Amino acid sequence: MDSSPDQAPAPRTPAKRTTAAKPAASRAATDAATPARKVPARSTTDRSTAPRSTAPRSTTARTQTPRTQTPRTPTARSTSDRPAPTRTPRPKPVETVLSLEGLVKRFGDTIAVAGIDLAVESGSFYGIVGPNGAGKTTTLSMVTGLLRPDAGRVLVHGVDVWHDPVAAKRNMGVLPDRLRLFDRLTGAQLLFYSGTLRGLNEETVRTRTSDLAGAFGFEDALGRLVADYSAGMTKKIALAAAMIHSPRVLILDEPFESVDPVSAANVTQILRSYVDAGGTVVVSSHSMDLIQRICDHVAVVVHGAILDSGTMASVRKGKTLEDRFVELAGGRTSVEGMSWLNSFSD
Amino acid sequence: MVEQLLRLKLRLLGNAFRRSPWRIVALVIGLGSALGMALVVVAGLIGLRFESASAASRGVEVFGALLVLGFVLVPLVFGVDDVLDPRRFSLYGIPTSSLATALAVSALLSIPAVAMTLIGLAQIVTWARNPLALVLAIIGAPVIVATCLLCSRVSISVAGAALSSRRSRDSAGLLGFAALAGFVIVFVLIYRTNWLQDGANVLATTANVASWSPFGAVWAAPADAAQGHFGLALLRELIALVFLGLLWLAWRTLVKVMLVTQPRSSEGRSYRGLGLFRIARVSPGAVIAERSLTYWIRDARYHASLIVIPVIPFLLMVPFLIIGVPTPVLALIPVPVMALFLGWLVHNDTAYDNTAIWLHLASGTTGRADRVGRVVPPLVVGVPLLLLAAILSAAVYGSFGILPALLGVGLGLLFTGLGLSSVGSARFPYPAVRPGDSPFAAPQSVGTASSLIQSLSFVVTIILSSPTLLFAGLALFLPGPWAWLSLLSGLVLGVLFLWLGIQWGGRIFDRRSPEILSASVRN
Repeated sequence: MDSSPDQAPAPRTPAKRTTAAKPAASRAATDAATPARKVPARSTTDRSTAPRSTAPRSTTARTQTPRTQTPRTPTARSTSDRPAPTRTPRPKPVETVLSLEGLVKRFGDTIAVAGIDLAVESGSFYGIVGPNGAGKTTTLSMVTGLLRPDAGRVLVHGVDVWHDPVAAKRNMGVLPDRLRLFDRLTGAQLLFYSGTLRGLNEETVRTRTSDLAGAFGFEDALGRLVADYSAGMTKKIALAAAMIHSPRVLILDEPFESVDPVSAANVTQILRSYVDAGGTVVVSSHSMDLIQRICDHVAVVVHGAILDSGTMASVRKGKTLEDRFVELAGGRTSVEGMSWLNSFSD
Repeated sequence: MVEQLLRLKLRLLGNAFRRSPWRIVALVIGLGSALGMALVVVAGLIGLRFESASAASRGVEVFGALLVLGFVLVPLVFGVDDVLDPRRFSLYGIPTSSLATALAVSALLSIPAVAMTLIGLAQIVTWARNPLALVLAIIGAPVIVATCLLCSRVSISVAGAALSSRRSRDSAGLLGFAALAGFVIVFVLIYRTNWLQDGANVLATTANVASWSPFGAVWAAPADAAQGHFGLALLRELIALVFLGLLWLAWRTLVKVMLVTQPRSSEGRSYRGLGLFRIARVSPGAVIAERSLTYWIRDARYHASLIVIPVIPFLLMVPFLIIGVPTPVLALIPVPVMALFLGWLVHNDTAYDNTAIWLHLASGTTGRADRVGRVVPPLVVGVPLLLLAAILSAAVYGSFGILPALLGVGLGLLFTGLGLSSVGSARFPYPAVRPGDSPFAAPQSVGTASSLIQSLSFVVTIILSSPTLLFAGLALFLPGPWAWLSLLSGLVLGVLFLWLGIQWGGRIFDRRSPEILSASVRN
């Protein structure tokens, strides 16, 4: 694919992947100070196995799609020729994998989305928070090609979703909120259907289905109709279907709604290792705690506009995300006149 | 309680008028046609005042019993959406008796209740012939209204309870088969009857049965009195009143039971492997076809359509039978009619997916693959069915020379219809029954647009197939190669229109898929 001259050859991607698997704190330190530890990890033979043991995607699956071979972070990180242990933080990836420019959507007289601009860099775990009806789902629907915007454009990996949908959608994995699934299919059939529509071959779909079933914990349910699943199970199978084609970007609308804490922790771990391997995740939620915990970037959307966005630290400004959110969104309304609730009628 | 629920019902009716203009138009048309039909019946009942008592009694008894029976059967078969389901009140802690009364009374505020009140009043006019008949008819009017409304309340509740789980709704196809069997029996009876000779006798026998049934007794009582059978009249009035009492008890019991039973979901059965997805080589068109076929097998909505296909031609034959059209001519009806309906069946297929269609959008599926996948199941079902039907029809017709023409017409109509459906379901999807709802339920919103699209796709299919139909018509009356010409024209035109339809429909789908999804979100 791309062959920019300023890019160093192959080892970079595995290097990043290997370091990513380690705790973040030690990453910068080990970077150049202890090069000896890193050398074996960088060898090409190792790269397909070492960091990915925790990830749900199988090795065969990865290597079949050629685009995964290209470095997801084109930043030059030539650790070998860096002279001193400068202890710089991990360099930010500069490639913008998803950009929204002036997105507008009206429904009749109501303006659901009033001009949203957002740039999501590759390798980030981006949270979109906002109260009910803030326009999160509308925005994400326009990003994923499900809802035609009134104005503005969406670029996924440089491709306009609304001009070249086929190419743009290939790079996206989508979990929409409150849309049906083809629920008269069994879990296995739904994953097969999603995978083959994405152009995967039968063998790949089979291996990935069993990997995903293991990672999400629905092996027993693969043979049942999705219509008979509980809400949480349905969410999990939809999530699995969204990532079966190993996309560059995952757009997940309320992925944790009605998912139990154990599964949510599992899903979070899967998404984290995907991000560490260079993937990009955009999640929407109204659970501030969750977003604060798992995301490194966040955008606060209220009334169809972004009030603040950026890295988690820059948005939080030392407060919890929830406090900061309430502050941005216009403060809490004081609860008065509800004293009758404290005297029971019986 | 009664007052509150009446007000609630009134508010619900009022809110129905506060939706989009099209819905109001549809509602007004529905209201108008219901009242119009009621007024026709009222006029008929008033007209019967000038007939002899015995002639009037037969008509009123049969028709009246059918009306009441309709209140029982319509909710069972079509699954009415019950806005005042007793279960919705279970959290309010209302005493059973007052809730049952209030719900029953609030049923008075509905179009069927108004229609039945008009009809009940009109039958007083019919029987104002002697004092007892008049008195029984006056008592009968409220009894008729109450019986009908309670019948429908009980029936709706039973249907709601029985069909509450998804699995039982899916097996509603069985109910369809039962209806099919019943229909076949009636059809045979109609076929065997010589209507010109025995029509009057059949009516008299039916009236006799109806008048003793609880559904017809209330209509029969004043009729008996008018004919001077006073004892019989009182006996039938008694039957009617006892039936009403039993209905009330049944309704009360149902409310009591339903207040403490919430619908429960059932654990579904398990399937192994990938099912139909193993058949073909992996390409988007093929997997969409396999998915469609899986739905045709598993989804009750498709079952309902499939059951209707073989019934429609026979239904169409009934009027011809009664006027005495000979059997060989009738044998020509099924093939074209079934082909027409099979091609028409998928004209709104996109809407059947409801919002699940997002997957096709998100995965960048091409419109062509989507269109191809959807026409495969009707072809798989239709082609063998039409071959078989054409051979049977030719045999009954008495000449296999007509077989090529039948095949030409059948396959031509099927292919052309599918081509047209491919365009229609991409360009004009309209609200359909949602997945998991009762297959006979009316969709939440029906505009006049939908019936226009439905009838247009029939007419256009016929127009596009007119050369084939013309050749087939000539083959019936003239010697020569007309039958074979019809086959040729049917295949060539059919395949052409199917191909064109898929191309054009595919392009429309590519362009309009977000709008298709938006439409299904509103459904």
